[in-house]
Amino acid sequence: MTGRSTRSPRRRTVVAMFVVLAVIGAFVIRLVDIQVVNANDHIEQSLELGLSGSQKTYGTRGTIVDENGATLAGSIVLYDAQLDPKLVGAIDREIDGEQVKVPWETISAEIGAVTGQTAEEIQAIVAAALAENPESRYAMLTRGLTTAQYRELADMKIPYLAFVAHPARTYPDGAVAGNLVGFVGSDGTPLAGLEVSQDGCLASTDGEVSYQRGGDGVIIPGTMTEKPAVDGGTLQLTINRDLNWYLQQLIAEQTQNTGAKAGSIFVVEVKTGAIRAAAEYPTVDPNAPTAVDESDRASRIFRNTFEPGSTFKALSAAMLVDSGTANPFSVVHVPFRQTFDNGASVRDDLQHPDYDYTLNGVLVNSSNVGISTFAGMMSDQARYDYLTKFGIGQGTDVDFLGEANGLVRDPSQWDNQTKYNTSYGQGLTTTVPELANAYQAIANGGLKLPLRLVESCTAADGTVTAPDNGEPTQVISPEAARQVTDMLENVATKGSVSEKVGIAGYRLALKTGTAEKVDPGAGTYKVGSYFTTIAGFAPADDPQYVVVVTLDEPTTVKSSSANAPAFREAMTQVLKTYRIMPSNSASPDLPTFG
Amino acid sequence: MSADLLAALDEFAPSTRPTDTRAPRLRPVEQATARRRPRLAYGIVAVLGAAAIVAAQMVVSILTTQDTYAISTLTAQQRQLTWDRQILYDEVAGLSSPQYLAANASALGMVISEAPTFLRLSDGALVGASQAAGWQSSIDAVGRGAVANALITQTPLVTDPAATIEGTPVEVTDETGQSVIPPALTDGLPTPTTR
Repeated sequence: MTGRSTRSPRRRTVVAMFVVLAVIGAFVIRLVDIQVVNANDHIEQSLELGLSGSQKTYGTRGTIVDENGATLAGSIVLYDAQLDPKLVGAIDREIDGEQVKVPWETISAEIGAVTGQTAEEIQAIVAAALAENPESRYAMLTRGLTTAQYRELADMKIPYLAFVAHPARTYPDGAVAGNLVGFVGSDGTPLAGLEVSQDGCLASTDGEVSYQRGGDGVIIPGTMTEKPAVDGGTLQLTINRDLNWYLQQLIAEQTQNTGAKAGSIFVVEVKTGAIRAAAEYPTVDPNAPTAVDESDRASRIFRNTFEPGSTFKALSAAMLVDSGTANPFSVVHVPFRQTFDNGASVRDDLQHPDYDYTLNGVLVNSSNVGISTFAGMMSDQARYDYLTKFGIGQGTDVDFLGEANGLVRDPSQWDNQTKYNTSYGQGLTTTVPELANAYQAIANGGLKLPLRLVESCTAADGTVTAPDNGEPTQVISPEAARQVTDMLENVATKGSVSEKVGIAGYRLALKTGTAEKVDPGAGTYKVGSYFTTIAGFAPADDPQYVVVVTLDEPTTVKSSSANAPAFREAMTQVLKTYRIMPSNSASPDLPTFG
Repeated sequence: MSADLLAALDEFAPSTRPTDTRAPRLRPVEQATARRRPRLAYGIVAVLGAAAIVAAQMVVSILTTQDTYAISTLTAQQRQLTWDRQILYDEVAGLSSPQYLAANASALGMVISEAPTFLRLSDGALVGASQAAGWQSSIDAVGRGAVANALITQTPLVTDPAATIEGTPVEVTDETGQSVIPPALTDGLPTPTTR
């Protein structure tokens, strides 16, 4: 039976079929192995053989925009030009139908005319490269060429000139908010401000395109693989660039007029905690950060601490009223100089006879003795707790790069003098944002909102991320806030700067401060040099904006009167920018004397 | 149960009659069956199908290659346009900055009015101080331009070609003694030459 069946033609056919199928199967397996299983290895192999090209593609670093979308920082492309020194020499050119040899001297002069170098400088670069290595194939001609310059050079068709494009940063508004935005280095590394702290939002991811080219340079169909570059996100700030520009121009003029070392204007929206302007002088133009002194390249507003002086009397008054210790009509006896039971001695700024001041009168006339006497009615710990709740010494939620915190020592470390000094803002330090945030709390019915500088980050795929802000804190009761505001309105209408700060039609609430400065070398207060401040908000009947104006050591006028013109004009501009209508009422008139 | 149903069941009952006549299993072939003529249509369809596949593949291949050249041309065009856009962007950079706008307005003699005054649209009433602006601006945007912008330091104002945002006219000359201050943008922006 066996012999017969194997010999049958049908059986042979079947065997032959199996053999053929086996061979085909082997080929199929090998094909799948090459094309699918190990495809990536083979692609890599082909890349190694130089059969194809690949190109890095750059994502665009995200833009930084203001509250209305105006660009504060954008991305551009700059070019580096490189020479191949070994090939440098004369070039054949066709001029009027004739082949002419153009010498290197002429070529280098032509290049120099575009790059701004002299022919000699360019020749020296090549000579130096060749002197170091006669076979040199690389010498950097110049960096940071604009697209126009690059195209002009590329159109010369010089065979030994190559270009590398790289992304760079541009700041269309120059120094406007340059203190906040920061800048990047020539290699694209973020170096200052939000460029550093918000790099996670702004940074892009580079991609790559690889392909194979035909003999004519055209990419062979089906060989292109692309890993797309991912652009950075758009960072929206709370800043208003037009307002910020005006205030920068204003504080620059005022700092110069008063002969101060530095000045700043800080604007906070009462009902949102948004920082609408942070102008300072001197400051940095991020397009040319090296043009200014290194100490001017970072924001003083966020990095400097100072003893605030009398602007703190508003906070002392707020804690007195909120704790029920005093009200605006409470009266104390105020001599020019007072020595307290613990031996501490406090005196007022100007000589005066003994007065019976109300708490309102103490603020209006900025009496150190008066506020010290009132503060003595509260425990040190309670006052410390209120200052902490106001955010003094706590930093702000902005978390700016290198942001400083003020310093309020624990009451156990307060000496006899510090116990009273702290009531009028000496013997402790704060920062402009901390001070503005405390005034924002008073203006907002006692509710302190976290300060915000970043509105949102919109990623390339459209997802919007808002920064994680802190929680609002009720620092004092709304009634206490209203009473403090009434007193601060009296300061605006009857205080030392009342004639200089008034804005027709608007109710203002403010407090001045002429603070003594510690001389770091001597460890004592400087004589005749002050850090002057006006902090306030308007309209007082429905507070919308807090404005803080500081001047560091004004010389023409040494008191906070120096800040008055800047405060009035800054507040006016803020009210105009945000279309705040004039008040339809008059400021309350509280008694000054008891 | 009805009689009909019973009758129907009866029909399905197996036959009891045995099969006794069996046909022989093998028998000689009387006549070879005529081989069926192959249908020509199938052959034609198969050949045409193959030809169509080959032709389609060629057409697709030609189109792909053609498109590759089209893409190549368009890519070159796009690159050129990207350069043009970058050149234009570089040229206008900084011209939209507030200091440039304010300096231009200031050079025209415009002042920033200090007192806020609003026109209420609903009844046309003036709200605010309603004072005329003084002759002096609250800030001096052109005379004391203090907000630097390196992009436009040398760019003359549109309204006063002799001045820049830094106020003072800056006359820079190169070695040949020619002024290198770019011409004023009086006739609109220059268009870059595209190739």
